[in-house]
Amino acid sequence: MGKILGIDLGTTNSAMAVVEIGQPRILENKEGIRTTPSVVAVGKNGERYVGVTAKRQAVTNPANTIYSVKRLIGRRFNDPEVQRDKKLLPYEIKEGAHGDVEVKIGDKWHKPAEVSAMILQKLKTDAEDKLGEKITEAIITVPAYFDDAQRKATKDAGEIAGLTVKRVINEPTAAALAYGLNKKKDEKIVVYDFGGGTFDISVLEIGDDTIEVKGTGGDTHLGGDDIDQKIIQHLLEEFKKEQGVDISKDQLAVQRLKDAAEKAKHELSTTLQTEINIPFLTADAGGAKHFSMTFTRAKLESLVKDLVDRSIELTKKTVEGAGYKMSDINEVVMVGGQTRMPLIVEEVKKLFGKDPHKDINPDEVVALGAAIQGGIMQGQVRDVLLLDVTPLSLGIETLGQVFTKMIEKNTTVPVSKSQVFSTAADNQPSVEIHVLQGERAMAHDNKTLGRFILDGIPPAPRGVPQVEVSFDIDANGILNVKAKDKGTGKEQSVRIEGSSGLTDEEKKKMTADAEQHAAEDAKRKELAETKNLAETMIYTTEKMVKENDAKIKEEDKEELKVAGEKLKVGLKSDNLEEIKKAVEELSKVAQRVGASLYEAGKADPSTSSGQAAEEPQKASASAEASADKEEVKPEEENK
Amino acid sequence: MTDEKENEQLNNDAEECKRQAEEYLNNWKRERADFVNYKKDEAKRMEEFLKFSNEGMIIQLADVIDVIEAARSNLPDTREFKEWADGFDRSLHKLEDFLKKFGVEKINIERAKFDPSMHEAVEIQDKDGEKIEEIRPGYTMHGKVIRPVRVRIIR
Repeated sequence: MGKILGIDLGTTNSAMAVVEIGQPRILENKEGIRTTPSVVAVGKNGERYVGVTAKRQAVTNPANTIYSVKRLIGRRFNDPEVQRDKKLLPYEIKEGAHGDVEVKIGDKWHKPAEVSAMILQKLKTDAEDKLGEKITEAIITVPAYFDDAQRKATKDAGEIAGLTVKRVINEPTAAALAYGLNKKKDEKIVVYDFGGGTFDISVLEIGDDTIEVKGTGGDTHLGGDDIDQKIIQHLLEEFKKEQGVDISKDQLAVQRLKDAAEKAKHELSTTLQTEINIPFLTADAGGAKHFSMTFTRAKLESLVKDLVDRSIELTKKTVEGAGYKMSDINEVVMVGGQTRMPLIVEEVKKLFGKDPHKDINPDEVVALGAAIQGGIMQGQVRDVLLLDVTPLSLGIETLGQVFTKMIEKNTTVPVSKSQVFSTAADNQPSVEIHVLQGERAMAHDNKTLGRFILDGIPPAPRGVPQVEVSFDIDANGILNVKAKDKGTGKEQSVRIEGSSGLTDEEKKKMTADAEQHAAEDAKRKELAETKNLAETMIYTTEKMVKENDAKIKEEDKEELKVAGEKLKVGLKSDNLEEIKKAVEELSKVAQRVGASLYEAGKADPSTSSGQAAEEPQKASASAEASADKEEVKPEEENK
Repeated sequence: MTDEKENEQLNNDAEECKRQAEEYLNNWKRERADFVNYKKDEAKRMEEFLKFSNEGMIIQLADVIDVIEAARSNLPDTREFKEWADGFDRSLHKLEDFLKKFGVEKINIERAKFDPSMHEAVEIQDKDGEKIEEIRPGYTMHGKVIRPVRVRIIR
C-alpha cells in the first residue's frame, strides 16, 4: 500500500507530508528545504524551473515566471479578483475559450491548473526520491472559500501531475486535523491563517463525522510580505535620515536591506530587540556608508499595528457573520508563518479570551493535516491504536530527598523502565521505595503514589548492594513498581491504579508549579546532590585511610582529616559554594594521596596490584553514583 | 439438542477468538515491523541531520565573511595599504580553510553560465556578451547548495 501524499498547495509556498507509523511527517524537497515556493518558470530554451530555482531566476525572466497562480485557478476571467490581480502580476494573462483564465509562458498559453500541476509534479517527484517509492495518491488542500470550479481545477492539477486526488480538503480543516480537533464534537473552531500573501479566517463546527465550514473571510491581499515591506520602508527612511542618501533605487542595497529586515523580523519573535548591522551598504564620493541601528519589537509592532488590527477586525466580522459570539468559540488555531509574531498571538488571545493553538509549525500544519487525512483514509491513523501518554513524570525518592525520575512526562504507554540503585549507608538492611509523581526536583514537592520497603539486604558497605527498581505502566495506565535485590533475588512490589487519575486542573497546576519553581528547585537539587557527593567523598577518603593505614604518611592522614572536618562543617551550613570548595579541597588531597598509594603499590611487588587498582575504581564509581547507580536513601532516615 | 446448540456456540466463539488472536498478532507484527523500519529510516535521517547540523551556523557565518570581504575590497589599492590587504587575504583564506573542514566550499562561477540551482539573479545589465558576475558568494555543504551565489547577469 503506497503512501498518500498530503499537499498544502499554497499561494506563495507549498509543503508536503506523509504519515509514517500513524504520525505525519513533513518531507523535504530535493533542495533539502521543507517548503517549496509556488513558482514556475520556463527559460529561453524551454527548460522548466519550479520552486526555489524558479524564484532565483525571476529577475532575468519576469514575464515567464509565474507565481501566485493560485489566485487565478478555477476563476473566470471577468472575476473582479482576476481583474485586480491582472494589474499586479508581471506575466501576461488572457481570457480563455470558455471564459476562464489563461497564462502565457514562453509562446504558449496555459491554464492555471497546468501551472499548478507543474508545482505538484515537482513535489511528487521530490517525495518519491525522498521515500524511494512511487507516489500515486494525494490529498490536496484549498482555502475554505474556494468554490466548486476552483476545487475542480485544483483536482485537475493533481491529475495532470499524475496523482489520483483522493480528496480536496479545506486548509482550515487540515489544520484542525493536525491538532486532533476533529474529535472534539460540537466544538466551534476559528482558524486564523496569516500567510505570506493572503489572510484567511475560517469558522468551523465539528459534527459527528464532519467538519463543517460555518463562515469564511479575510483579505486576499494581506500577508507577511506586507509586513516585510513596512520594515524595509522603515529601514530605508532611517538610512536616509542617518546618512542623507536615498538607496531605494539601488537594487543591491535594497536586497541587503530586505535580507536584514527578514532576519530582524524573525529574531523579534523571540527577543525584544535586535541589532541591524549592514557594513558597506553603499558608497558615495565620501567613501563607504555603513548602516546600523537597534530595532525593537515595540517599534516593529507600531509599524505593523494597522495590518494586525485589520486582520482582527476581519476575524471579528467573520465570526459574527457566521452567527457566533467570540465567547462561543472553543478553539483557535494559528496557521501561516506570520502568526509567530507575538503581537498577533496576543491580539488573537485578547479577542477570544483563550490561548490559540500554535505548537505545530504554522508553515507546516496544513500539510501535516492533509497527510493525516490520507492516513485516516488508509486506516493508518487508527483510533483503536491511539496510545495514551503519562501526564506527569513518575519516579522515586533518592538520597537527599531528591526526586529521581524513572518515566518522563509525556512518555507513550505501555512502557517500562528500570534502573539500578544502591544503599546510602554501610550495612543498610533495607531500602524504602517512595513512589512519586510530579515535575518538581525535590521529592516532598511531588505527589506520593505509594511506598514500600524492600528488606533483607545482606550487610555490605554502602554502594555495593544492587537494587533494581522497575516501573511498568500497562496500556490501561496501571503502574507496577518493583524493587529487586540483585544479590539475593528478593523482591517487593506495589501496584498503583489510576496513577493518571488526575483532573486536567491538577495536571496543569502541577506542571505550572514546576515551571514557576524551576530555578529554586534546581538550586535545591544541586545542593542536595553536592551534599550527597560530599558525603560520598568523606566516606571514601575515611575508608581509604582505614584500609591503607600503614601505607599512608602521617602528615597526609592529618591533611585528609583537616580537609574532611572542614567539609563536615560545611555540610552543616547548607552553603553550596562553601561545600563545593571543601569538596574540591578534599578531593585534591585524596587524589594526591591515592596516586602516591598507587605508585607505592606499583613499586612494591608484594602488594597485589588488583587491590591497589580497586581503590580508584571504587572512588570513581561512587563519584558517578548519580549517573548510573544512585543511592536510595537509607530507610532508617525516615523512621 | 441444547447441547448441540451450546457446542456450536462454543465452536463459533472459539473460531472468533482464533480469528481475533490472529488479527491481533498480525497487527502486532505489523506494528513491530513498522517500528523497526522507522528506526532504520530514523538512523538514516539522523546521519543526514548530523552531516548538516552546522548548516544554520555556517550560513550566518557566511554573512560575517561577506562583510570582511567587503572591507577587504574597500581598501584603497595603494602601496600604503598593501600589508593590510595581504593580512585580510590571509584571514579570509584561513576562514575558507576552516569552512572546508565542515564540507563547505565556495561556489566557483568562473566561466559558468547562469544556473538557478546554484545562482540567484538579483540584477541585469544589458551589455554585449553574456556572462555572470558575483555580487555575493555562495556556498555548498557536502555538495548541497546552502546559499546560492548572488549574481548580476550581463547580457
